[in-house]
Amino acid sequence: MTTRPEAPLPFDIPAHPSNDDPRVTLEEQLGVWEAVPPFPPQTEREAEFYTLRDGEMLINIGPHHPSTHGVLRVVMKINGEQVVDLDPVLGYLHRGVEKIAENADYHQTISHLDPLEYVASLFCEWPAVIAYEKLLDCTVPRRAEYIRVLSGELLRISSHALALGFHALDLGGLTPILYSFIERDEIVEMLAALTGQRMLFNYFRIGGVNGDLNHEFMSRLGDWMSRAVGQVEANMTLLNENEIFVRRNRGLGTMDRETALRMCWSGPNLRATGVPFDLRRAHPYSVYPELDFDIPTREEGDALARFLLRIDEVKQSLRIIDQCLHQMPDGPVMAKLPRLLRPRPGRAFAAIESPRGEYGVYAISDGTDQPFRFRIHDPSFLHLQAFNLLMPGNLIADWMALNASLDPIMGGVDK
Amino acid sequence: MDPALRRRLEGRLGDRMTGPVRQRHDETEIRIGPADVPEVLRALYDEPDLRFRYLADLAGVDTGTAMQVVYHLWSDTTPDWLRVIADGLDRDAPRVPSITFLWKGAEWMEREAFDMFGIVFEGNRDLRRIYMPPDYRSFPLRKDFFLPDDAARSPGAGIRQMERSHSPRDATSTTLVRRSKAG
Repeated sequence: MTTRPEAPLPFDIPAHPSNDDPRVTLEEQLGVWEAVPPFPPQTEREAEFYTLRDGEMLINIGPHHPSTHGVLRVVMKINGEQVVDLDPVLGYLHRGVEKIAENADYHQTISHLDPLEYVASLFCEWPAVIAYEKLLDCTVPRRAEYIRVLSGELLRISSHALALGFHALDLGGLTPILYSFIERDEIVEMLAALTGQRMLFNYFRIGGVNGDLNHEFMSRLGDWMSRAVGQVEANMTLLNENEIFVRRNRGLGTMDRETALRMCWSGPNLRATGVPFDLRRAHPYSVYPELDFDIPTREEGDALARFLLRIDEVKQSLRIIDQCLHQMPDGPVMAKLPRLLRPRPGRAFAAIESPRGEYGVYAISDGTDQPFRFRIHDPSFLHLQAFNLLMPGNLIADWMALNASLDPIMGGVDK
Repeated sequence: MDPALRRRLEGRLGDRMTGPVRQRHDETEIRIGPADVPEVLRALYDEPDLRFRYLADLAGVDTGTAMQVVYHLWSDTTPDWLRVIADGLDRDAPRVPSITFLWKGAEWMEREAFDMFGIVFEGNRDLRRIYMPPDYRSFPLRKDFFLPDDAARSPGAGIRQMERSHSPRDATSTTLVRRSKAG
């Protein structure tokens, strides 16, 4: 803090007892605001961040800020309106799911995973059931695999629609989110008819899925598919032909492909830098090898590229859904497994391509009915890490656009 | 399973491994000592016939007798996941070199492993707590840490140590520790 100048104050602060005392500085009267953190810095990086140079100050964005997509707190070091450095602070939504999973039996863990990625919750269940199936050496019926892909791709469209709508909302455009919610509501109702839940589906089971396709789901799906492509394109013309939206996003947060790989990025954010890395092709799981779809990529690596790439992915997901409906085999949807599972001691890792990137689960079995170690790998966690690279030099308001383009889900980040 | 990868690993890193290469489903597993982590991962990254350029996961594991750090890697040269287990970290003072010189993105994953297990990654520039508050004292995912409402576990061992013991020095003979049979 600067010291008080010798000249008298140009204004009076009334009704304060120390106001008459010329030795009391203005800071003392108003109370000096210590810079966060409240605890002594533990690392050199933290000490460097919380040391202010001339003209710099710290502000908090979040944890309860509407544009943080959850409870993310970001301490920003700013100089004027320009961001100099950032320190994301996590943990406001930490529930210790990994610890809970170590104390639940194999079936119970799956229901704890849904609230992690609450926008696309089937994608949290998916790697866990694959990892458990590997531990158990069990084969999943083909119809169940097709239903998993079908519901997963529907949810990917819903998740991307929300991401695109919220991207516009964070930049001040209210209309696109309303159109996005039309699509999302229809998909959520569809999946509610299939799974019995609107948001946290708890649908995948070890060895299959909870229930077969039913008439309401199929009729809603057919109805929606007939107009989906046109609807998606019409919605997105709202934004990608919007001058303000495009100019605010073009060139913002540009990432190159080498750095993106070094930062362990995955998903649409990585593909927007030009790396055609999609686990559905790079490490195929389920029935994706039998399906025909492209992996869209873009070269620019900026916020606009990430936005446009999600639109391309929605179109590919519609292709996959179409093929699933045509190739869906008959048969059971659950493998025959005992109620209480005790896999042999061993280790298994499974990763799937969620709407945000690689969602992985690493499970260790010690022969009992509970996992010995249950590790969740979340892509948003690693995307948030890149704020320090992408943000310095931009304005505070650009952080909202950048954060929305990375599309984090704080439930998964904080576990 | 990819037998060619097994041969390449044995040929290139055979002297570093502390156990045989294990393969199951689409996973290949090798075990190394914690001091060899930078050298082995650098070799896996750089060797033209290995090319493990993507770090899929970094996890800490407490087996009850030792600490482990587990890396999962992806390469376009093999259809398998490669699992590298840095085995045998001292449970009293677990230390392992950081791999942020290869993957800068490992920084937060190492912070998480430090937060949950107390594993110190030497060379990580920002090793502090990430989920738990900075004044928090224990390490929640260690096996001698119990949840207050841990009803699934038998109370047979008597008093439970909750949110307190974080090393065997604090643990009493009645502390219940679940030890891995998976090794």
